[in-house]
Amino acid sequence: MPLEVEIPLKEIQRYMGYRGITDIAPEMQEKIRKAADQVSIQSHPRIISREYRITVSEKTVVIHADNEDVTLESESLVRNLSGCCGALLLAATIGPACDMLVRRAGVTSAAEASIYQAAGAAAIEAFLDDYNEKLKTSYEARGLFLRPRFSPGYGDLKLEHQKDWFRLLDITKQIGIELTDSLLMVPTKSVTAVIGIGISRERTGCAGCAGCNKHATCEFSKERD
Amino acid sequence: MGLRERLGKEWLFCDGGTGSILQGMGLKGGELPETWNLTRPDDIRSLNKSYFDAGSNIVNTNTFGANRFKFDNVPEIVKAAVKICQEARHEAGRDNDAYVAIDVGPTGKLLEPMGDLAFNDAVDVFAEIIKAGYEAGGDVVVIETMSDSYEAKAAVVAAHEVCALPVIVTMVYDESGKLLTGGGVEGTVAMLEGLKVDAIGINCGFGPKQMLPIAERLVKCCSLPIVVNPNAGLPRTENGATVYDVDPEDFSSVMEEIAKLGVHVMGGCCGTTPAHINTMINKVKTLPFIPPVEKNDTYVTSFADCVKIGKKPVIIGERINPTGKKKLQQALRENNIDYILTEALKQEEAGAHILDVNVGLPEIDEPVMMETAILKIQSVTNLPLQIDTTDIEALERGMRIYNGKPMINSVNGKEENIKAVMPLVAKYGGVLVALPLDEGGIPETSDGRIAIAKRIYEAADSYGIPRKDIVIDGLAMTISSDPNSAIATLDTVRRVRDEFSGHSILGVSNISFGLPARELVNSHFLTMAMQNGLSCAIINPCNGPMMASYRSFNALMNMDPNLEEFINAYKDYVAGTSASSSGPKSSSANNTVLSLAEAIERGVTGRAAEAMKEALDSGRESLEIIDSDLIPALDRVGKGYEAGTVFLPQLLMSADAAKAAFAVVKEAMADKPRNTKGQVILATVKGDIHDIGKNIVKVMLENYGYDVIDLGKDVPPEVIVDCAIENNIRVVGLSALMTTTVASMEETIKLLREKKPGTKVVVGGAVMTPEYSDQIGADAYAKDAMATVRYCDSVFDS
Repeated sequence: MPLEVEIPLKEIQRYMGYRGITDIAPEMQEKIRKAADQVSIQSHPRIISREYRITVSEKTVVIHADNEDVTLESESLVRNLSGCCGALLLAATIGPACDMLVRRAGVTSAAEASIYQAAGAAAIEAFLDDYNEKLKTSYEARGLFLRPRFSPGYGDLKLEHQKDWFRLLDITKQIGIELTDSLLMVPTKSVTAVIGIGISRERTGCAGCAGCNKHATCEFSKERD
Repeated sequence: MGLRERLGKEWLFCDGGTGSILQGMGLKGGELPETWNLTRPDDIRSLNKSYFDAGSNIVNTNTFGANRFKFDNVPEIVKAAVKICQEARHEAGRDNDAYVAIDVGPTGKLLEPMGDLAFNDAVDVFAEIIKAGYEAGGDVVVIETMSDSYEAKAAVVAAHEVCALPVIVTMVYDESGKLLTGGGVEGTVAMLEGLKVDAIGINCGFGPKQMLPIAERLVKCCSLPIVVNPNAGLPRTENGATVYDVDPEDFSSVMEEIAKLGVHVMGGCCGTTPAHINTMINKVKTLPFIPPVEKNDTYVTSFADCVKIGKKPVIIGERINPTGKKKLQQALRENNIDYILTEALKQEEAGAHILDVNVGLPEIDEPVMMETAILKIQSVTNLPLQIDTTDIEALERGMRIYNGKPMINSVNGKEENIKAVMPLVAKYGGVLVALPLDEGGIPETSDGRIAIAKRIYEAADSYGIPRKDIVIDGLAMTISSDPNSAIATLDTVRRVRDEFSGHSILGVSNISFGLPARELVNSHFLTMAMQNGLSCAIINPCNGPMMASYRSFNALMNMDPNLEEFINAYKDYVAGTSASSSGPKSSSANNTVLSLAEAIERGVTGRAAEAMKEALDSGRESLEIIDSDLIPALDRVGKGYEAGTVFLPQLLMSADAAKAAFAVVKEAMADKPRNTKGQVILATVKGDIHDIGKNIVKVMLENYGYDVIDLGKDVPPEVIVDCAIENNIRVVGLSALMTTTVASMEETIKLLREKKPGTKVVVGGAVMTPEYSDQIGADAYAKDAMATVRYCDSVFDS
């Protein structure tokens, strides 16, 4: 089951570290295209998501799950979810093949490894964007509006909360992502996130890249081109 | 009667879901269900009993996640679970016809090379669970919900090493019939059959409807009893509780359909209840029972790939074998795994289906190297491997950690050899190459070879190795010493096919040893052998004429649908030119005008190597070329990168080009002592598995003349410190990508300061900053690869 979503080449270039550069050599463009094709063909995307009721207060967000309440302390998340009474928790991966492509490329070329690395990052994002778009349409049909994706590790939401995602969604069993002791995910091209569900279209709180505490030093900022 | 005697002879039924039932009893989110074996045994007993009452013959203990990553009292928890299940069985009055199954779920960790759990550690984790369950009196080991065949293998090996109980394995496939790791139904079945489990199946993932087509595939390829345990459809949340959408009536109706396909053990997984199971049993038990049917297909597999040995010949790449290959010998002595990996990828590109792996050299530790080579090759290619060794320890260690069902090269007709090799194949599974020679030597005639082959088949029977998993070697030997040898070999190949319906293999190029123009003889011999029924050809797939014979044969014999393979390979073929170099030609002609420096600056790898060779051939000293051409070119790119006019991809391409040029120098100076600026250790610290940044630093440092000891990723502090002491290292470079792993960076620095004061530590990685670096006591922060090079220069030049 390939990716079935186009990977934007510009995004791959951005992850590779090209910023504001348009005259990329044809050979390099060819390599990028090839990497995008390979990653796309060999991906095996899986996703799991569930809707929860949430309570947003001044400094915390509480997720009301089946048999427990999970409290997330994060002001940036509070801003992102303010006005929401529900949220989707999700986890997605494009599978382990991309990690192997990176390893393979790394045998002979550090440059190619970095291209595959970038293509994988762009692939999981493209896959999620597409999924997100479909969600948006189906929720809007019900008069509900979705907030931007927000992941553990963003802003002041501690990476530690990865454990909550893994427990609530049973991610390892359902879609095969492992959470390592150091809270990293394997396959590496995987994402966990929360998407707020609100009754107004109003986009409160999220200031995009500018609102991030890594904004000044981030190599990959979408807003510094 | 024991379960083993009943499996595949009558209908047997497993239990259903537990998670949602326990939640209904009040299991809190985040609470581990297995703790209830100690705190609420009555609830678990009533759960178990409800399935015995429903009619299940095989009821799982509440031990799915009872492993040491979650509990520090695994034996206690498992033993309690077995006892509870036994009591439940007794209370239900089912002591005589039902079985307590030691339930083993996945560890939640991914195995190397994908994740960070080593295979043999996984075996230990499973052995602890199974041993406790066995000692407490469990009747069968059920390994379930496995989405990685490698982890399933670890659990099966553990089960067999701990006890002789029957072992049932059920895997989780997705709707396309793939495991998470990319493996398919057929390959997984082949591996598990090789491991001699008692029944194979599928569970979890989705409901019975979606499972039907996968059950169909299982029935087609599996010779063992088949188990099917689906979920009750898909979960959804209703009023805060998880519910599943397939009720007992619908569930059992589809299960009836699945039963008719010819499966043998049925039950449920997530969301199914005693009512689902009971309704199903009532519908299925009166259906006619179809016993398992022996299948005759031979598969060699990796974790993701599955190669069928049959009518269409298979190409086995011979390049990873040091015999007569100086560069590979050197690589093995220097532990240069990248060289081996490059050979592996080249052969894959050229069209090999299986790769032979022989790493035997008198001066290296072959068992260790075999293990390393297999692990590393399997981390970059899906191709199945042929483990080729005469060292029994290397063979066993290779077979053990191999991910899939390998080919084994080889056994022969000698009594002693059969006794050493066949038990390993019986234990781990594999397709075994058999050489028809014995204590009396190599028979000259096919009669003699066929007689030994017959004895080998009989020996395989006695070890329980299926005959379909034996591949007889026709023993190609040079026609220059025995003019009749090709005839004897071809006869042997033909008779293996005709008299045993067997499979055959040849090391093809041996036929021409000592002759000129060997590829002419070899490629024609290959065609003749295939015409005589050859199943596997061990050849160099990078050799054009050999692959031309192979592809032409397939095209002519209607084994290349739509001639697709042939056309793809030869669409640009120019008549009259030699086919002696297949594969892509080197890069376009206009590159030839580039100088070495230009090639490096522009990152044209092939040309950089060529230009270096030309410079050396013109009589220039290698050091002078490096100092006046190569390093300045790299410097210009590096400075551009630092100034922000050159971007990372260009820097990396230049680094690749410089590396290629260096490889040429290294080869030219193979016999001379090397000059290095100094030794540097690089490591991604413990807990961190990101190594791309570190690898970039490595390439750059090497290009600038440093000897890098690359300890890899997820490296414990002690390993780094010991290595620094052993090699008297002056600079250690540490990388960490995550905030969470900076702590182990700090720990490493502390230990270094304590054990080897004076060592300089340079740190880098996405989360590092100069401030952070000061805080954890590093000597320097390097923001990128160039900065690391500059720092090392400053240390070593002072």
